[in-house]
Amino acid sequence: MSLILDGTNGETFPDGSLQAAAASPYVLKNRIINGAMQIWQRGTSFASTAGYTTDRWSTIGYGSYNETVSQSTSVPTVTTGNAFPYSLKVQRPASSTGTVPVLIGQAIESVNCYDLSSQTVTLSFWARAGTNYSSSGSTLTTQLVTGTTADQGITSYVTWAGYASPIFNASTILTTSWQKFSYTATLGSGILEAAIIFYFTPSGTAGADDSYYITGVQLEIGTSATPFERRLYDKELISCQRYYQTYTQPPLRGVVTATTFSTRMAMVLPVIMRAAPTAVVGALPMYDGNATTTVSSVSATYLSAQTVEFDFNTAGSLTAGRPAIVYQTGSSSMTLSAEL
Amino acid sequence: MYKLTNLGFGQTEITSVIRLSDGACIPFDQANMDFVEYNKWLSLGNQPLPPDEPTLS
Repeated sequence: MSLILDGTNGETFPDGSLQAAAASPYVLKNRIINGAMQIWQRGTSFASTAGYTTDRWSTIGYGSYNETVSQSTSVPTVTTGNAFPYSLKVQRPASSTGTVPVLIGQAIESVNCYDLSSQTVTLSFWARAGTNYSSSGSTLTTQLVTGTTADQGITSYVTWAGYASPIFNASTILTTSWQKFSYTATLGSGILEAAIIFYFTPSGTAGADDSYYITGVQLEIGTSATPFERRLYDKELISCQRYYQTYTQPPLRGVVTATTFSTRMAMVLPVIMRAAPTAVVGALPMYDGNATTTVSSVSATYLSAQTVEFDFNTAGSLTAGRPAIVYQTGSSSMTLSAEL
Repeated sequence: MYKLTNLGFGQTEITSVIRLSDGACIPFDQANMDFVEYNKWLSLGNQPLPPDEPTLS
């Protein structure tokens, strides 16, 4: 069999395989992290509040919040089977009459987007509407917003230099069936931050499924959408852990201090984070080889992108000078966030 | 509302503040978004609570 070049269908190779689009010359081409909605460190269902949901994807309110976000197993069926494990379902709650935009977005860190300056890029994604999608014309607004100041954060994207004139500001028309969409545009110079934003403005009273579903989100250099870049699960998780890490009984180790502070405990992080993280510490179980107790509060911190270290106050007494560990019992946790 | 942490052993200056709404320890790192929010809060004329007295072991 010879190589068949077909302007409509692509290239058919001697083994019968079809390549519909040009291969990207770039390694690790997709600038979106968790575009296939694989990683859910924070849980799989999120109430109507601002903040991060599935890894790297954040809701953003316009003064109020009127949306829930959840993991969905509704995914597009492609010729090679189910290409994506999950989709992200972004929903106005049933019976809600709120009309603030229902929005989800991802900010791309400066170190991962500065080279997009003056480049032509293509965003591609799969999307579908819920059965009661209330957006006028069934549109899903799709934006690529940029800025020239590094890493100001997703929640402040409306203050970025490029907010008023997005690189593209497309009205994607959804149906209740999965479709793949793509948009191509050229960025300006001096780009130091970028964000992909999806939203719709609801109307009327929400039905049972006033939502949109997205997955397979990819932003790449080039004039056309190439096949979605599948990164191995562990690589995708590491990319997410640069921004957020969660532990049940983290492997904190330390010593019971003599007088002023109860216990000093530390651990090296498995993935270096984007910045020194915000730490939320639960009532961790502690053991000094003789007695057990729990963390009651944090007295002082020594947080960096590579390590976390704490002076803990404890609910009960331990013996000064003994080593201490967080031991394995219960379900108390520690989370670390260095999100944008 | 926020509360400063204590000056820990080996520290010459306080390095974090606790957000009282969820107990989050926020490091004084300009790249940390929660610290950026804390600075905005300070710029409005707010002041954090002083640190607790550390408990004895």
